[in-house]
Amino acid sequence: MTPPHRTGDPGPGRPTDRQSPWQGRGLGRRHFALALPSALLVSGCAAPYRGSGRPGDPIVLTLLSHYASGELKQALQGPVDEWNATHDRVKVRTKAVEFTDLLTTFMVRQAAGQGADIIHPYCLWNGQLVRAGVLRPAPSGHAVEIGRGYGRAAVDAASVGGRVYGYPTEVQTYALYYNKRLLRAAGLGSPPRTWRELEEAAYRTARRDRYGNTLVQGFGLSTYDDSTTVGQTLALLGAAGGSFVSADGRSTAIDSPAGRAVFELEHRLVVRGASTPGINVYKAFQSGQAAMVISAGWWTASLRAEMGRDYREVGVAPVPVPRAGDRPGTLSTGFMLGVNTASEHPREAWEFLRWLNAEKVGVRTARQGAVATRMSSLQVSVGSLTGRADDMGTLLGAGGDPNLRPFREALAYAVPEPNVPGAQQAKSLLRQNIEALWTGQRSVDEALRAVRRQVDQEVSRSW
Amino acid sequence: MVNVLTPERAERAHGPRPARPVVAARDRTRRRQTVVAYLFLAPTLLFFAVFLVLPLGFALLLSLSHWSGFALGDIRPVGLDNFTGLFADGSTFLAPVLTNTLLFALGTVALALAGSLTVATCIDNLRFQGLWRTLYFLPIVTTVVAVGNVWKYMYEPGGLVNGALNALGLDSVAFLQDPDTALPSVVVVQAWASVGTAILVLTAGLKSIPESYYEAAALDGAGPVTVFRRITLPLLRPSLLLVCVTQIVTGLQSFALIVVMTRGGPGDATDVAALEMYRQAFSYGDWGTASAAAFVLFAVVLAVTLLQLWIFRRGGEDA
Repeated sequence: MTPPHRTGDPGPGRPTDRQSPWQGRGLGRRHFALALPSALLVSGCAAPYRGSGRPGDPIVLTLLSHYASGELKQALQGPVDEWNATHDRVKVRTKAVEFTDLLTTFMVRQAAGQGADIIHPYCLWNGQLVRAGVLRPAPSGHAVEIGRGYGRAAVDAASVGGRVYGYPTEVQTYALYYNKRLLRAAGLGSPPRTWRELEEAAYRTARRDRYGNTLVQGFGLSTYDDSTTVGQTLALLGAAGGSFVSADGRSTAIDSPAGRAVFELEHRLVVRGASTPGINVYKAFQSGQAAMVISAGWWTASLRAEMGRDYREVGVAPVPVPRAGDRPGTLSTGFMLGVNTASEHPREAWEFLRWLNAEKVGVRTARQGAVATRMSSLQVSVGSLTGRADDMGTLLGAGGDPNLRPFREALAYAVPEPNVPGAQQAKSLLRQNIEALWTGQRSVDEALRAVRRQVDQEVSRSW
Repeated sequence: MVNVLTPERAERAHGPRPARPVVAARDRTRRRQTVVAYLFLAPTLLFFAVFLVLPLGFALLLSLSHWSGFALGDIRPVGLDNFTGLFADGSTFLAPVLTNTLLFALGTVALALAGSLTVATCIDNLRFQGLWRTLYFLPIVTTVVAVGNVWKYMYEPGGLVNGALNALGLDSVAFLQDPDTALPSVVVVQAWASVGTAILVLTAGLKSIPESYYEAAALDGAGPVTVFRRITLPLLRPSLLLVCVTQIVTGLQSFALIVVMTRGGPGDATDVAALEMYRQAFSYGDWGTASAAAFVLFAVVLAVTLLQLWIFRRGGEDA
């Protein structure tokens, strides 16, 4: 039998030659019947799996963080696996991107309607995320628990406009790293405690060759990135009792005696040759080409891993203060875990966060009966800190790296990085002006004026 | 007078004829062909709609709105505020961002054009021309990140360039750390990286100049400089125009090399429009300002390109 299409009979449902391809009723229906499930299938594949939604079926929460590789990824996966093994109803699935892509990923996924249930933002972005309606305020029970369990700086960093939006995770405080060998060689037996001592140590340790190439930076100021440049300056500003943004977050407060003193100190260090901002300070310190650097606590783990035996020559001291007897001060930065407003299961997400961040469990490496939260154990295992002073005391109390102690002590007095809407841009503007000061483009007065004008314009915008 | 039936009348006189069905069939065929043509065009049109028209329309909408980048429902119209904000007192967009962008593009074109013209003329007089062209084309097939990083290390205080200066007894120069030298240093790298394409275009242009002109010039006793000025340059004008237009458009849109080498610093010494747009959108969540800046940059690119075309056409070359 000849197939129908060979004889000119198109067969049931197929269009004849005279019919337009669009005219065949059967074809249209069939296309529609094929297209609909295909579209559903494609959209289903594109959307994250959040569970079937049937009563009794597991709920799948997604957690998006920057713990994308190495020990950080493993450290987070440990407790998540434990949760999944012990909870039948709510499962957690982690997704991770590099830190540099984190904010962009939040944006893109949120705009596409695929925001993760739990997000792990840098606290600097909190104002921006709250303004965009991405972060859900912590329910009152959780907010009380957060306020009670963490230090002031950590709670402030996780809050916007006085409302708490998440559980603080790692908290980074800033302190002075110094190379004991270089200080000894310059005849200095102990790290500087005041700015005068800091300058003296910087000038005595700095060395250059006859062509002007830096052999040793006395005090490492660095244009490496926003966080490095601004972190160093804001840590010194904190030590001088100043702040970057006013209490109401609507203007900058850096154009103050404290701000001026910091800018003048940095300017002197650069002009007199003790600092060379263009050099990558992280590499320079590791290789003994920088005597002192202000940086955050996370660096200790990197230095220990990279420097090997030379790490014993590394010491850490509180950020020097302007005058002997001044109260200590520094900067703290951090991350937090919050719940997305777009999450369909906020109650379960908050419950998971409480389990991870607030529930105390036994610590194997500490003394008998010692307890800490899973997050605190996780952070300490990767050489970082949380804002829970009691956990840090337990986990770092006996043994451990003595260089972490100044960072832990700084939790009590550190000032958090501002997180008002526009904080990221304010930070970039501050960096540009600090660099302009360091490179002689602007004087101290001009730099302070420019920061005030530009940052005020940004943070006072009505969004 | 002879009555002549026009074809129309003749048709009418002869009664009904099958002309109308034929016309109808022809129309049907034409319609069907049109439909088929559009069907074949559909994927391309869809591609352009999705990846060109839609983003362009969306960018235009955003340039007249405020949007933080998170939820489409939060797009709020603000009229021309984003455009006026770019040129408001205290804004850094006009100076230094747009100024840096233009200096970067013009510097790149000037250097790349001079370099490629010199090298292409030399290659045209050498043996193994394919080998030389390949060698000069190599930077094009190297990623910008690699090029930027290698040059960054070469510019470092202990790097190759400063090593050479020190060997000559000169002091080191903080090429990328000094605001006065940072932009020119990056311009050199961009020109170096783009000179390969220009050499290819210019050598092809040189090959297309008839040998008879040179023979005539030689008979007239013209020297090499006169030959170059009076014969080579004028006849190379279409190739030069192509190189100029493509290089300046690339320069005005430059982003990756700046990010790798300086991140816009020190201060804002190398901050360019594309980098500023990226920061406004992805770091600061101000998509309105970023989109407005994109349209301003588009206007600048268009104006500069039209200016180039006008200058070359005024010189007698219909590009």
